[in-house]
Order: sequence, then C-alpha cells, then structure tokens
Amino acid sequence: MRLAWLILRKDLTVEVRSGEIAYTTLFFAVACVLIFAFALVREGKPPEDGAAGILWIAVMLAGNLALGRAFERERQAETLRALLLAPAPRPAVYLGKLLGIVVLLAAAEVLLVPLVALLFQARLLAHPIWLTAILAAGTTGFAAVGTLFAAMLVRARSRDVLLPVLLYPITVPVIIAGVRGTAALLQPELEVDIVRFWLALLIAFDAVFVTLSLWTFEAVMTD
Amino acid sequence: MPALKRLVAAAMLAALCASVPALAAQNPPPKVEEYVPISQLPPEDQLPAAPLLIAAYSFVMIVFFLYVVSLSRRLTNVQRDVDRLGATLKQTSKS
Amino acid sequence: MPKWFFRAAIVCGVMFVASPFVIASADYESTMGLVQKIFYYHMPSAWMFLTSGIVCGVASVRFLMTGDPRHDRLAWAAAEMAVVFGVVTLVTGPLWARKSWGTFWIWDARTTSSLVQWMVAWAYLILRRYGGPGSEKLAAGLALFGTANTAFIYVSVNYWRTIHPPTSVVPKLPFTMGFPLWFCVASFALLFVLLLRMRVRLEEQRATLDSLYLSMDDAR
Repeated sequence: MRLAWLILRKDLTVEVRSGEIAYTTLFFAVACVLIFAFALVREGKPPEDGAAGILWIAVMLAGNLALGRAFERERQAETLRALLLAPAPRPAVYLGKLLGIVVLLAAAEVLLVPLVALLFQARLLAHPIWLTAILAAGTTGFAAVGTLFAAMLVRARSRDVLLPVLLYPITVPVIIAGVRGTAALLQPELEVDIVRFWLALLIAFDAVFVTLSLWTFEAVMTD
Repeated sequence: MPALKRLVAAAMLAALCASVPALAAQNPPPKVEEYVPISQLPPEDQLPAAPLLIAAYSFVMIVFFLYVVSLSRRLTNVQRDVDRLGATLKQTSKS
Repeated sequence: MPKWFFRAAIVCGVMFVASPFVIASADYESTMGLVQKIFYYHMPSAWMFLTSGIVCGVASVRFLMTGDPRHDRLAWAAAEMAVVFGVVTLVTGPLWARKSWGTFWIWDARTTSSLVQWMVAWAYLILRRYGGPGSEKLAAGLALFGTANTAFIYVSVNYWRTIHPPTSVVPKLPFTMGFPLWFCVASFALLFVLLLRMRVRLEEQRATLDSLYLSMDDAR
C-alpha cells in the first residue's frame, strides 16, 4: 500500500514539474466540449438533457488520451519494467498508476463541470454531493479498466489505436450509468431512487473490475 | 482438405439454391406473449414480408459460405507451408 | 482432421439443405405472419453467439491461469465464432424487426447488449491481428472482462423498455413450430462445433509452422 502511494507521488511530482499530460488533457477536454457546443447548440439553445452526455463523453475521450500518454512516458523511460523487476507486489504498481489517472481525471472534471453547466445551461451543481459520488464512481471504473489495458498494451504494436478499441466496449456500463445518473440530477424534481440505482451500479462495477484488474495485472505481467 | 472444402461449399450452395424457391413458393398474407399458430394467413397479410425473409435467409447462407471459404483457404495455405517446411527440414537433417 | 469431422459435416450440410423445407411446413404465427419464420434461423444463431462468448471467456480464464496455449487457441477460435454468429444474429434480427416492430433497430436491453458484446468479440480479433507478439494474454484479459461485463451491460441497458419476445415463448411453442426450431438449433449447434474445430485446427497448424521455423533456425 505504501508503494502505491509512492508511485502516485512519483507520477504527480513528474507531472507537476512538466505538466505535459495535465495541460494537454485539460485542453483537449475543453476543446471537446466546445466542439459539442458548436455541433449541438442551435440558435443559442442547447439540446435538452445534452449536458450529462457531453460531460461524460468529454471525460472519456480525454481519459483515453491521458491513459495512452501516461504509459507512453513509462515505456520510453523503461520505468515500467523497472517497477515490475523491483521486489514490489504487483497490485501496488497497478494501484499507484490507477490513482494517478483518477487524480488527473478528477482535475479535468473540476474544470469541466462548471464549463458544461455554463455553456449548456444545465444545473449540474444543484446536487453537488450526488454529482461528486457519480463522477467519482464512474471515473474510477473507467480508469480501472483503462489503466489495466494501457499497461498491458505498453509493449504491443498499434497500441495507440488499440486502447480505445478495447476500452470503449468494456466501459459501456460506465457511460450508461454515468450519463443516466447525471441526467437524473438535472431533472427539476430529484428522484433519489434513480440516482441511487445508477450509483450502486457504478460502485458494483468498480468493485468487480478493480478486483479483476488486480488479478489480471498479476497474471499478465508475469512473463 | 480440398475435398472437404468442396463438399461443404457444395452443401451450402445447394442449401441456398433450394431455399429460395421453397420460400418464394410460400402463399403470402408490440409485445407478444406467446406464439399463436394458424394455418392460413388472413388475406390482408401481404408480400412486403417476403423480401425481408429471403434477404435474411440468403444473408445467413452467404455469411456461412464465405466464412467456410475463408477458413479453408487459410487452412490450406498454412498446411502447404507446414508440408513444405517439413520436407525441407527432412532434407537438411538427412544431408 | 479427425474422422468424425467429415461425417458430421455431411450431416450438417444435409440438415441445412433440409431446413427451409422443415421451416416451410411450420404453421404461421398469427400476428407476425410470414416474416416470423426468420425466427428459426435468428434464434439458434443467437444461442450459438452466446455459447461462443461463454467458451471464449472460460478458455481465456484457463489460459490466464495455466498459460497452456491450447486454451488460447480455443479462445481465439471461439471469438471468431462469436463474431460470425453475432453478425448473423444482428442482421437477421433487424430484418425481422423491420416488419414486426416497424423499425430496424430498437434500443432494448437484449439487442443493445448483444451489439456491445459483439463489439468486444470484434475488438478481440482486432487485438489478435494487430497487437503483435504478446497479445495473447492481453486478449485473454479482454475476453475475461467482456464476459464479466455481461451482467452489467444487460442491467444498465435494461433502463430502456424491452419489446423482445420473452424467452418464455420457447417452452410454450406448439409442436408444429417447436420441431422446426429444435431442428434448426441442432443444425446450428453442429455447424458451430464443426467451424470451431476447423478454426482451432488452423491455430494448431500455425503453431506447428512456428515450431518448424524455429527448428529450421536451430538446424542451420
């Protein structure tokens, strides 16, 4: 567990110094939202209930990019192999990388939520606690699967194009639950049961897939 | 392998040719709970169903036919390479 | 190829040739009429699609646990089966739906889940083809995730109303419709086994070829 924390700190330190992944990911996320705005806003009126979908699509697209480049850096510096050679428990390596990605995506979401709320006239911040819970659960699920696939793809050919090919079909429940949960928060009358259902689904997804990722990371990285 | 391929290909083609006239010769006519069988279609049920039906069956036959062809072609290629390589190895081990 | 293969292939071919006649002898369904006959091909191929997914998932887990390449070969073959039978299911379904539901595609739980799982199978094949060396374990991981995801996909997509006929239809089928259905199920199941065996054979031969190349390098 301490090792995971150390890995997280290492990634954050490198990131804070160079800012490459953070700034480019954030920019991409904002650009994404802008593209949606230009595509979907007609005569100054955004589509009804579009905000939830747009928020999540931006998060997933930006996340895909961030995942690819987070591991690209590892590949170039061969740090991943070094980490795996170290007498460290594999799960810790995975968890450290996962936490790094989650922190990065959380930073993006902090920026995106007000932006989407503003541009699409959606009252996203009406129920901040529920929103935070859904975003946290969904981002963790997405990042869990993404971190595993990105780590496994590090030595593969065509890795840039393969990551979205693998990631998006598997994270379909995340986007469905995330968007539907967020959209439920945008309704004038909050129906807590619906939000709770989607949140529960996301948490179950996280539990199952973080566990599966830990096991698979172990099985795949030993060769 | 070629014998098998020809056999299966012929069977598929025969199925395709046999099914089209059999289906075309058929006399033409929101949430279902169970299927209710009847022997005669009411007169208002009409032809537009037949093209869909024929398209569906043809598609199925064509997909399986093409897949079998693709698979047997890949198999013959690899088999040929295996035989060739096996022969070369035998020669080099003899010499 | 083993001896049973050729005999089984003949039986399978005969069954498929016979199937349109067997189906034609079935009664019409009263509300859906002629187009419902697509059911006799759509449903068995859907079942084989499901079976392929399960075989791929189980084989992948065993490969991850043991590293035995035989499981990997079976998993790859099963994934290809899933794509083929999936395509058949996903095309015959909308053709049927166009007439009976009025539209080609409806975002209900079963159709959408099938589409998503079919894409996972397709992604598996893309990965095997373009992933380069070492993609076997990665693909096994993908298959494992795809299988584990089934329940989640189904539940999450179930938010939308489903207008699929409930599966309870099958046991209640009268004999004139039940017999053609089970006949077609047998045909498709036999076809599935034959194609799977053939596809696994392809992988076995590829592995033989690889080892031959290696022996050649050693012999030099």
